[in-house]
Formats: sequence, structure tokens, C-alpha cells
Amino acid sequence: MSLKARIAGVKPAMRRGGVLMLSPEARIHERTAAREEAALQAVAMAMLQYTPQVTLTEESTLLLDIGASLRLFGGIRSLRRRVRVDLRGLGFTGRLSCAPTARAAWMLARAGGGHALKQQSSARALNRLPLVVLPAARSFASWFEGIGCETIGDLRRLPRSGLQRRCGRAVLDPLDCAFDGAPEMFEWIEAPAMFEARMELFDRVENADLLLASAQRLVLQLVGWLCAMQLAAEGITLKLEHERGRVARAPTEVEILLAEPTWYSDHIMRLLKERLGKVVLEAPVIGLVLHATKLQPMAPSTESLFPEPGGTEEDQIRMIELLVARLGEDKVCQAKPVADYRPEVANMWVSIQEKVREETVTRQLPPNLSSILRPTWLLVRPIRLLVRNHRPFYGSPLRMVSGPERVEAGWWGDTAARDYWVAEGQEHALYWVYRERIAGTGEDSEPRWFLHGLFG
Amino acid sequence: MLSESYSTPESIHPSLWRASQLARSSTRCIDTGYPVLSAQLPGGGWPTSSLVELHLRQPGTGELRLLQPILVAAGKRRVMMIQPPHVPNLIALAAMGLNPSQITWVQADRTADALWAAEQVLRSGGCHALLFWQSHMRSESLRRLNLAAAEGESLFFLFRPLAAAHDASPASLRLAIRPALGGVEIDFLKRRGPQCETALFLPLSPSFTHRHAPVDRTTFTPAPARGLRAELVE
Repeated sequence: MSLKARIAGVKPAMRRGGVLMLSPEARIHERTAAREEAALQAVAMAMLQYTPQVTLTEESTLLLDIGASLRLFGGIRSLRRRVRVDLRGLGFTGRLSCAPTARAAWMLARAGGGHALKQQSSARALNRLPLVVLPAARSFASWFEGIGCETIGDLRRLPRSGLQRRCGRAVLDPLDCAFDGAPEMFEWIEAPAMFEARMELFDRVENADLLLASAQRLVLQLVGWLCAMQLAAEGITLKLEHERGRVARAPTEVEILLAEPTWYSDHIMRLLKERLGKVVLEAPVIGLVLHATKLQPMAPSTESLFPEPGGTEEDQIRMIELLVARLGEDKVCQAKPVADYRPEVANMWVSIQEKVREETVTRQLPPNLSSILRPTWLLVRPIRLLVRNHRPFYGSPLRMVSGPERVEAGWWGDTAARDYWVAEGQEHALYWVYRERIAGTGEDSEPRWFLHGLFG
Repeated sequence: MLSESYSTPESIHPSLWRASQLARSSTRCIDTGYPVLSAQLPGGGWPTSSLVELHLRQPGTGELRLLQPILVAAGKRRVMMIQPPHVPNLIALAAMGLNPSQITWVQADRTADALWAAEQVLRSGGCHALLFWQSHMRSESLRRLNLAAAEGESLFFLFRPLAAAHDASPASLRLAIRPALGGVEIDFLKRRGPQCETALFLPLSPSFTHRHAPVDRTTFTPAPARGLRAELVE
């Protein structure tokens, strides 16, 4: 029920006519058991990241055994906060409660939430609850009302043997479990062997940015599944399903490849945000499907005793991945030198997502590094220089200060036969120029000078 | 007592200084590798986690050779270059002493993307130095980058054309670099310290002055007319 409806005065268990009278623009939805079930399953999947012991119980309640997770997630407060944030991210509202026994937590949650960390405070809180919280007690509600028994505390003061004779064990068993810690068996849900999450969107979405909030719901499920299976994702595909119009349209695929396998939702969400920002939708989207295409065993990072000043290596990789996601993988480059005499061939830059080993880099570099003279900037295309008074001219006449260095290579394809000089302009800037050695005939017989680099 | 605190204002508050002194830097500074230059900078070096503007007349005036000592000091950490004016030549960078595997070259199609990338790099704070070339900058993006730089601990150099030297900027250190015979001349456009009228000459390698007769810089005669000069050299 929305806030607007509540302000208009709509209450639970009202009839359709009454609701429409109070707020005529109200939209009334039918309950769908299958969808509720799917929603609970989705939440349960996302909750697997906090504990492997998650179970679905009666009356749309999820029970999580967090006894072993408290230390990892920084205590009960931060764990509750994270669960609440995740619930909101999934697009649901819920009531959270925690108690030393599972049944007590269940009863507190059904009565509206609350938390009790010790057995005594849990008993105090339970005693105050109305007894209709217990499903088995509801059929005897009028009888309990008749004898003035309204709360769980009142119920517990009644003689046990008489209560068992009149109402059966169904009323007493949950109380034993909640108060005295009688053992209770649960069937913990098991993560499926393959992950695929699908959801229908609330509407036809035409803007890729709007998909992000919906995609978060799928990503949270993925993270829960990854934690349960102790896996990390290396590649993720988000399929955007289009409306089936006159022609069937194949879903648009948004693929994310990660250099370092991850299982953190905020990193995946940041990458998705940048990628979705670049996607141009051809048709409205009605559904989303998330796949984990490449998986690796999870390898949690070892934390060092002292924090590193510049952040960890993982932070670095995450930052680079974020740049790649927005700018494109060929725009973020790393060095991969090639052993060649031609400077433009030797200076090779490849995408940062390629794996380049450091030994390869050092092996391809010339051995006499310090003795060779190279400019720090290379022009993509050498500039043909004017020649005045038989001297190359670039802004001012150039004076040769070092050289020549002969480079002759690439006869099997891109032949280069050049004499390189370091030249100095009138304002003392240094240029790397070359003269082509293969001159033409006739008019082209003049030596041709080119500017190829700058000394930055 | 009062007159004493006037003569040493830094005893009142560490961020106070007299106009004739160099300020103390509020952030960690890394030695420039040139004692002459370090002596002229507040804190005795390039400040980390703050914006440093270098104004160049054209790319290729010795800007990377000037930064060579601190780029070499990167060790295992990354050096990012965002939108350099030309293709960085990795053999030259390796010859300078940098490790080629630690250099990352980022190109961006649009200015907004370049600014975004610079901000992400600064906020992550993980790299040793960020070198960023941008010719047109609005003052709000400058301020934004300056704040982002303060969050991390990396060195941040912004290379801008000399024409932008007249615009206001939030950077605490702004230098103009001009090529000179055998090195560069550095003008201090803005620093926390006294005005510096004369340019500082800094010799850089490779220098080709030793190939010719030793020339005293101060008595260097301007080059003669073009025609005559060409004949002389030929």
C-alpha cells in the first residue's frame, strides 16, 4: 500500500468499493502467489551473501542464521544496515528483527520488527506481543478473548496441560522454540548450479539509464549467488529484452569483462552504469536477464597490516576498469614495445585489458637504452617540412645539433630509409627530424625533410 | 612579545607567512631532483595532492625531462597520462628510467570524458602521478579537479598552453616553461612566496651545447640574419 493511499485513509482488509470511494485514482492489483514466491526467492538469493543458511518460512518470512557472520560484517548493527540497504536496492520493503532463537525472530518480525539480543530481553519483547501472531492461536482467538487472554505473556501464564488439551501442541510448540530454545529444523535453501536471473520491467523503458535501478536487483542476486558458491565473476552479460512488435528483435547484450574477478556489487554496479550510459536503445526494453558467463574460484584478498598509502592493487584495477567501461578498451593503453628499428613500429601501445608480461616488455626494449637518443613525443604522421635555403624550416630555421643516425629497416613491407637528426629551432626547442634517403627523380630529387618527434 | 610574533608570523599559525618568505606546504612535498628549483618552491618540492599547473608554449619544450626525477621515483606505482599531445614514445620514457609497464596512456574523445577520467584517477588516489593535458579549461572544472586532487595522495600536473596563464586558477603553484639553450627557463607565475621577476634556468639532458665551443649564456649573441647563417653552417 502506498503512502498516498494511507493518507487518503485506506486500511488493510477494506473492500474494493470503499477504497475507490476514498481515493478514486487508486490502482488495485490482484495478489499473485507465483510472483510473491519469485520475489521472496530473489530476496533469499541476495541474502546468501551474508550467510549460507537462509530459509523461506511460512507467511512470507525469511530466516537468516547470522550467528557466524556477525564478526565478518562488523557486528549486528552494520549487518542490519546492509540488509536494509540491499532490501531497498532490490525494490522491496520489509520488517527486520533479530533474536537469539529463530522462532522468536520470526514472531517479532510478524508483529512489526524489533530486535532483542539476549534471551531475557527477547522473552520480555515476546510477552508483550498479541497472541494472534501465532498462526495456530488464531482459530481460538474468540475463546482467548473471552477469558481475557490477549498477549503471549497471558497465554504463557495459562496452565500448560489444559492448554494442550484444548488447543493441541500447535500453539505450544512455537512458544517452546521461541522461549526455551527447543530445537527446530529448517531446510536451508540451496543455490542453483547455474546463475540466471530474469525480471520483467514495470513498464516499457526507452532510456538506458533508467534500467540501472532494475539491474541492481539482478546484480544483488548475482552477488548472493557468487558468495554462496564461493565464486567470483570474470564476465557478466546483461541482456535487454525488447518488446515483440511486428518483427521479433534479438535482445541487446551488454557484456562486461573484468580484469580481476569480483564479487562486489558496488563495483559491478559502477561498471554497469558507465556501460549502460553508452548503450543506445533501438526499441523499448521490457525485460532484463543477467548471466554470469565466466566464473573463477573466489580468492579473497589478504589485507596487509599497515594500509598502503596509494590504496591496494585491487583499487587500482577497479579504477582502470571503470575508465575502460566509459572510454572504451582501446582508449586506455599500456606499453608493449616491439624490437624494431623503425620508431613508429617499436612504439606499440595496446589495450590495457591485454595481458602483457613484464619480461616481454623488457626483452623487447633495446639493450643500450641509455645510449640511444629518442624524443618523448612521436607524431602519429610525420610532418613534411618546408626547405628554405637548403635547410629545413619549422617555425624558424632548424640547426642540426646531433646526428645523423641512420635507420634502414622494413624492406619486406613498409620500407623506411631515413637519416635522423636532432635539430634546434631559434627559440631553442629540440626537434627530431629525418631526411628520406630514397629521393625521387626530377622535381622530387630534392631531399625531403620530415618532423617526427618532439623532446618533451 | 607582540613585535616578536609579527617578525615570525608562522609562530602564530603554521599557514601564515610573510610576503618575502616561502610558505610552508600543507601537504607532503617530493623533491624535484634539481636543488636550484627545489629551493624556489614552497615546501622544497612538488606538492602532492594538489593541482600544479605547467604552462607551455608548445608541447615538447622539456616538460617531461623536467619531471623525470620524480617520475623515476614512482617505483611500483602507476603513472597516468591523460590526453597527451602526441603519442608517448616508450623507448624514450624507458631511457629516462621509467618502467614502461607502469605507464598508462588514456585517450578521450570528448573534454567531458577526459575531465571525468582525471577525476576518477585522482579520487582513487592510487597512482604515483597524473599528467593531464588540456588546452581549454573552465574555472569550475579546475576547482573540481583541485578538490579531487586533495582527496588522493598523488602528484597532479596539468599542462596548459601559455595563453591560459592570464586566467585565474585555484592552483597553488603555476609555472611557465620556456625552452632555452641546453635546458629550460622557468617563470613562477604563482606560488606561495615572494614574486619572482627573473626566470630560473635549469639545465636538462640531452644537452647539445658541449658539442660546440663553450658559450656563456649571459653573453649569448642573437643569431645573425637567416641567409648569412645558412651559408656559414653549410
